[in-house]
Amino acid sequence: MKKQDKVKQINVIARAPFKLYFQGTALSLSATNAIGKFDVLPGHADFFSMLEPGEVYIEPVEGEPVVFNVSNGIVTVRSDEVMLFANM
Amino acid sequence: MRRASLIEKDAESISTLKDLTNVFESLASTQVAKMKGKVLESQDFFGLLWERYTSLRIDPKRRITNRDGVGNNGRNAIILISAEAGLSGDLDARVIETMQNENDLSKTDIVVLGSHGASQLSQRGLTYSRFFKLPESDDFIDVSPVIKAVLPYERIRVYYEEYVSLGSQIVKSIDLVSRIQDMSHEYEEGTMTDYDTIFEPSLEEIAEQMEETMMRIALSQTILQSALAQAASRFNAMTMAEDRAGELLGEFKLEFHRAKRSESDRRLREVLVGIKKKRREAAAGA
Repeated sequence: MKKQDKVKQINVIARAPFKLYFQGTALSLSATNAIGKFDVLPGHADFFSMLEPGEVYIEPVEGEPVVFNVSNGIVTVRSDEVMLFANM
Repeated sequence: MRRASLIEKDAESISTLKDLTNVFESLASTQVAKMKGKVLESQDFFGLLWERYTSLRIDPKRRITNRDGVGNNGRNAIILISAEAGLSGDLDARVIETMQNENDLSKTDIVVLGSHGASQLSQRGLTYSRFFKLPESDDFIDVSPVIKAVLPYERIRVYYEEYVSLGSQIVKSIDLVSRIQDMSHEYEEGTMTDYDTIFEPSLEEIAEQMEETMMRIALSQTILQSALAQAASRFNAMTMAEDRAGELLGEFKLEFHRAKRSESDRRLREVLVGIKKKRREAAAGA
């Protein structure tokens, strides 16, 4: 019997002080920092970045993509746990 | 004794006042419920962010902070958060008293947020160096101008009101300055250093920006807390005012009935005197 590959995923919490944009498992998260656009995929190295104004795109494991704009914020990645703090 | 018509007029005014306090009480109650949710959401957000912020570790030798060179002639700064208007009981007065008791105000510059606090300070003969109006919206609290004003000070203390319950609000203070923790000799689990984490921009730049961001968020939190405490205090003040208006209304009603009876007794006496007089005149004529 063929061993079924487990879908790799990241756990994401994306929120502003009074708004939760997304909380759950996702396949990827894309945002913009001073260097440019970047993607966080499963297995990404530990990462800490300040966000630039722009669009954040989250592709959940299930359901429609979540898209929202941020004026500032930070994103942290640690062992596939992604936290995005927006509009602080 | 006052005339019944005058008492009735006063009672009508008190009745209107009672209705108004009732409306204010309902408004304050709605505001408390709304603010409570916001404070909890914001605390949750701040908690998560704080966890990430405190996990940052940098080498003390390379520590850069935008607060280097602070001092401002050895003076400290106090941020006093008050209400924008009155009707919130004695809460602002209590904050000012606590601030006075805990600080040497001759070595302190006061930055006041809220018109009520500013007027209370002036009434007490206390001068403040800067005044800011409270943010109009709770959804986005921009405290950047306040942070900019206090950033040159080494010690920045915030005095504000905290909601404990609907019946209890306390005065609190926090030290706004919190520096990035130095890299510890022993590696702690959960910390983020530039040996194991990619930082964009550099860790030093992030540390510098985060320090101000955390100060901004911490101050926003105290403003929200304060607004919640003030709404609760306003609710209490309005409840007390409504109770007092109810008592006054009862007293006025009693006084009104006494005055009415007294007035009807007087009229009766006048009629009786008139009848007696008529009888005497009739008897004299007969």
